[in-house]
Amino acid sequence: MINDALSSLTLAQTGFPDSVAGVTLAHYLSVSAAMFTLGVIGFITRRNLIVMFLCTELMFQAAGIALIAFGRYHLNFDGQTFVIFVLCIAAAEAAMGLALIVLLFRKAESLSAGEWKELQG
Amino acid sequence: MTTVPALAQATHEIAHAPAWALLILGLPILGVLQSMVCALLGVKSKAPAFLTVGCLAGAFVTTAALYSWFDPANGPAVVTAWEWFAIGDFTATFGLYIDTLTIFWMLFVTGLATLIALYASEYMSHDVGPGYCRFFFAFNLFVFSMACLVMGANLAMLYLGWEGVGLCSYLLIGYFYKKDSAVQAAKKAFIVNRIGDLGLALGLYLTFVHFGTIEYAELFGSAQLEGYIDLAMAGNYAAIPAQAQWIPILLMIGAFGKSAQFPLYVWLPDAMEGPTPVSALIHAATMVTAGVYLVARFYPVFLASEYALPIVAWTGTVTALLAATIGMAQFDIKRIMAYSTVSQLGYMFAGLGVLTPTGAGYHVLTHAFFKALLFLACGAVMHGFAGQLDLRKLSGLRRVKGWGIVTLGMFVGCINLAGIPFTAGYFSKDTILAEAFVTPGTAAIGWILLFTAGLTAYYTFRVFFRVFMGPVHYEPGDDLHDHADDHAHGEEHNHDAGEHGDEHDHGFHPHAPGWAINTVLATLAVCSLLASGLYIVGGKTLDLHGHDYKAKHYASTMIQQSTASFVTPYDHHGFEAAGIHHDDTATAETAADDHAEDTAHAAVVHGPYGDLAHPNTVLGMDPHKGMYYISAAFGLVGIVLAWWFHLAGRTTAAQCRMDAVARNFGPIPRWAEHKWYVDELYEKLFRGPLHLISNHVFRPFDKYIVDGLVNAIGWLPRIGASIIRPSQSGELQGYAAGMIVGLTILLFLILTVVISIGGGA
Amino acid sequence: MEHLVHPLLLYLACLLGGLGIALALPRPRYKLALIGGLIAAAGGGLVVLMLSLKAYDTDPGALPNVFFYAFAAIALAAGLRVITHHRPVYSALYFILTIIATAGLFLLLSAEFMAFALIIIYAGAILITYLFVIMLATQAPAEGDEELQAEYDTTSREPWVAAGAGFVLLGILTTMMFRGVGELPAPAYEPDSEILAQLPGKVETILTNSDLRDAEDLLADGETLLRETDPETGESLGRLVIARSAEGHAQVIAVDDEGNERRLTLDHEFTPTNIERLGINLLRDHPMTIEIAGIILLMAMLGATVLARKQVEFEEALKAHEQRRLHDAKAEQTGAAEA
Repeated sequence: MINDALSSLTLAQTGFPDSVAGVTLAHYLSVSAAMFTLGVIGFITRRNLIVMFLCTELMFQAAGIALIAFGRYHLNFDGQTFVIFVLCIAAAEAAMGLALIVLLFRKAESLSAGEWKELQG
Repeated sequence: MTTVPALAQATHEIAHAPAWALLILGLPILGVLQSMVCALLGVKSKAPAFLTVGCLAGAFVTTAALYSWFDPANGPAVVTAWEWFAIGDFTATFGLYIDTLTIFWMLFVTGLATLIALYASEYMSHDVGPGYCRFFFAFNLFVFSMACLVMGANLAMLYLGWEGVGLCSYLLIGYFYKKDSAVQAAKKAFIVNRIGDLGLALGLYLTFVHFGTIEYAELFGSAQLEGYIDLAMAGNYAAIPAQAQWIPILLMIGAFGKSAQFPLYVWLPDAMEGPTPVSALIHAATMVTAGVYLVARFYPVFLASEYALPIVAWTGTVTALLAATIGMAQFDIKRIMAYSTVSQLGYMFAGLGVLTPTGAGYHVLTHAFFKALLFLACGAVMHGFAGQLDLRKLSGLRRVKGWGIVTLGMFVGCINLAGIPFTAGYFSKDTILAEAFVTPGTAAIGWILLFTAGLTAYYTFRVFFRVFMGPVHYEPGDDLHDHADDHAHGEEHNHDAGEHGDEHDHGFHPHAPGWAINTVLATLAVCSLLASGLYIVGGKTLDLHGHDYKAKHYASTMIQQSTASFVTPYDHHGFEAAGIHHDDTATAETAADDHAEDTAHAAVVHGPYGDLAHPNTVLGMDPHKGMYYISAAFGLVGIVLAWWFHLAGRTTAAQCRMDAVARNFGPIPRWAEHKWYVDELYEKLFRGPLHLISNHVFRPFDKYIVDGLVNAIGWLPRIGASIIRPSQSGELQGYAAGMIVGLTILLFLILTVVISIGGGA
Repeated sequence: MEHLVHPLLLYLACLLGGLGIALALPRPRYKLALIGGLIAAAGGGLVVLMLSLKAYDTDPGALPNVFFYAFAAIALAAGLRVITHHRPVYSALYFILTIIATAGLFLLLSAEFMAFALIIIYAGAILITYLFVIMLATQAPAEGDEELQAEYDTTSREPWVAAGAGFVLLGILTTMMFRGVGELPAPAYEPDSEILAQLPGKVETILTNSDLRDAEDLLADGETLLRETDPETGESLGRLVIARSAEGHAQVIAVDDEGNERRLTLDHEFTPTNIERLGINLLRDHPMTIEIAGIILLMAMLGATVLARKQVEFEEALKAHEQRRLHDAKAEQTGAAEA
């Protein structure tokens, strides 16, 4: 039964060396989940604005892994297409975000996220 | 089958009164509206007063028209304006019940209201502006309420009017709202009235519970009430249910409150803080008679109760005597008149109690006129002498120029009040006194009332002899600085000796009354004198319950055709049947016939006082005739005493022979002057404890519990907010953390709920 | 269905991981980072161990896949260092390492274009931008001079709570993954008969799913058989064998009932590469998205320019205003001194 379960997750990888056979969708998804979690923790924990942004990028990475893994699983190229767009968006976001961070840095002379608490109720 | 046709109207069908009868209510409302409009427009002339006079004159004309239209033979008439209450079994209409009692009352109410409105137009003239409009607003509202009270078709309308007159009384007593004593007096009046109103309300409820209706038309025509009357007249009070016997007890509490009887009379003297027209109209002539009206209207119900009428009689008597003793010792002439009002109201209640509603009604009518006259005269004095009312500071006013009509009015009022022979007051008081002696068991009441009549004559003429006769002397009162035509003088020094013909070098000029006041005083004097004629005219033979009854005068005609009618068996026949000698002797045949009839009927008629068949005598005479002389004697003795002590040999305003005599009585005159400390007793007995409870129980309750509750309700959102507010930390990462937690929870829910629902693994 | 990894062990691994990361995050006084990292690694290793044991239980011959585990380990470790390093520059550099590891994972998933696109765009452009900004904004002290370092870099914000929250999330995600495995739809396919040659694996899958594969007639490893039958009569009309040639190309062999063979070799031209496939998918299935992505990039460019410019303008205007004010004040002073 476990064989069925595993085989049902088998990524269509015939043609590749054996050493990469046997890795299932679950493996990739686990990696993706772990990386996403790392990104979440880093985002919540670190105070440096730029490091916070890096953590969001880490989350993007995790999403990318998951997308491509699913694409491979379903033998579809939509996953990879989507990752292209994710890259585009990440780039755009990085540009804008960093520009804003620079402005914020100029205002507050510090990169700490704790400086910006004006919406405090 | 009773010879007491208490329910003379019972068998008649209820006729329909014309709709224009509602104008009697409508015109005072128009007066209310016009005074409101004047107030809004800021009118500064006497227009509101004259418009009021117009409206009230219209109401009087309508009443007169109604009088001419109404035919008592058709029974009472009812006109309904609209259906007021209809809740389950309880229905009450907003309408009028017209019978002779109603018209009798309304004629003098509207007439006096018109005259007093005219008087007030001058009296209140220094207050033109918003105060003036306010006065006439309350005045008109009062007349409307009184009309509701008297003409209402059911107890609910009566209650409406009752409360309305109470309200207007409060508004008008407290007219000078900047004066603390006036405000206190207004509150006192309202609160004491309220105590009585409780009795009235309970009586209303009990009436509804017991009889199933509060409409007069249904109540006074019901077989249930007739049955009670029959039982009462047979002396079988035990068979009448206790509920029915309690109704009049409760109603009379209300009547005592409104008509200032013991123990609820304390508000009326204080009510003199209001302007004099108010005192004249409300606290002399109309509102205070509402209690008498109530008892008269519900006379059948009172008859059906064993103890109601005796209580009424004795309360009236005690009040009459008490008030007379207090009035003897007062120095403020308006107060004296107030106590005399209380005393005379006691007479009216005593009259009702001794089974002469006719006498009571007639006394109401005459009293209304002469008391209003007296008050208005006192008011003229007050108006002219800058608020001076102390009879130790006024003297000889009949000789002051311009005060002739006032003196005349005062004199006419005084002779009526004292009961000088052939005045209206004499006749009406005599009717009551006579019946007190006729009805068995009430002779004591009769003697007390006679004594009180003597006291009345004494203190009435005390006022007249002190204020209007004797050496001329006057001092201005406290309102000196308010009047434009007075000099701003300080104290006036007393004149020690000698008559001074000329007071003008002191600089204070009395303000002689103008045309309005003089006109009204003259009219009222004439009416008071003419009212004595009503004792002679207006008699009619009435058909009461199948019997012929010869009503002797106008008041009798009116009263005996209404619900208040009560005829004792010997009234039919005079005293011939009992063998007492009359001045007009009848022939032996008629005497024998009457005697036969009398004995036939005599056996079946009892009343609250037991067997009514055998009338009593006074000093061996037929009371009706004998009273003419006896009461005249008491009255003259009183006047002579007043002359001796207060006029003869008096050279100053302040001192007289009475002062020396009074010193011999020790502290008693002082106690009388302090109203026998009744107010202080009430203060200690009721007000003090209530104050204590209020301060120590209700106030903390209000402050901590009620206010605390409200504050807590206000405090809760703040606390809630302060708990939630920290979540808005303004920190970016805090919000992100919140999102993550939310996402986690969501995923968890999907994991546990959705997937397991979907087909659990 | 049986779990791939026992839930308790999974959660224990998450717990260990959380503990480790919480310790590893920057903290002012303790130098527990290393210990933290080891503990986190222990957690990760626990998972790997379980998976390997499971794989060993089912098929002792199958060895764990080295490349996958290597790349995965590097990716996760580097990610850990991204979030735990107290100096932002190092965070960025570790992030580049993460990108490279991820690219390796993409390669394992036959997405070679994406792998290199990732490296070129992400590591080569975006991260460089990050590094520029970090250089701009951080005044990093010399090595060893810890006291002057910015407080916001040395202390982390509620590490325990964050680690706890994060690993609860991880626990749930992985549980979902394993719980939901049974319900995942079977891999979909596109029966694309217009293009003759597919990747061999794909063809095999198609054949399997369309039930044309005859398992009994498996000729050799890498060969599949098609049996064509007349739909009406059910007669066999011959056989098609699709095999992999020795060079690794696809071969189609048509064998009719008499045993005649005809071979057709599909050379590498018929095997579209990943890039070609990706391009086809992109342009055929998602043309609009390309346009939108372009617009977004345009807007980002404009936005960044505008943001930067305004600030400069504003600052210049401010400076000019200051200058004028000082000048006026000075003129006044000198004027007052003269008068």
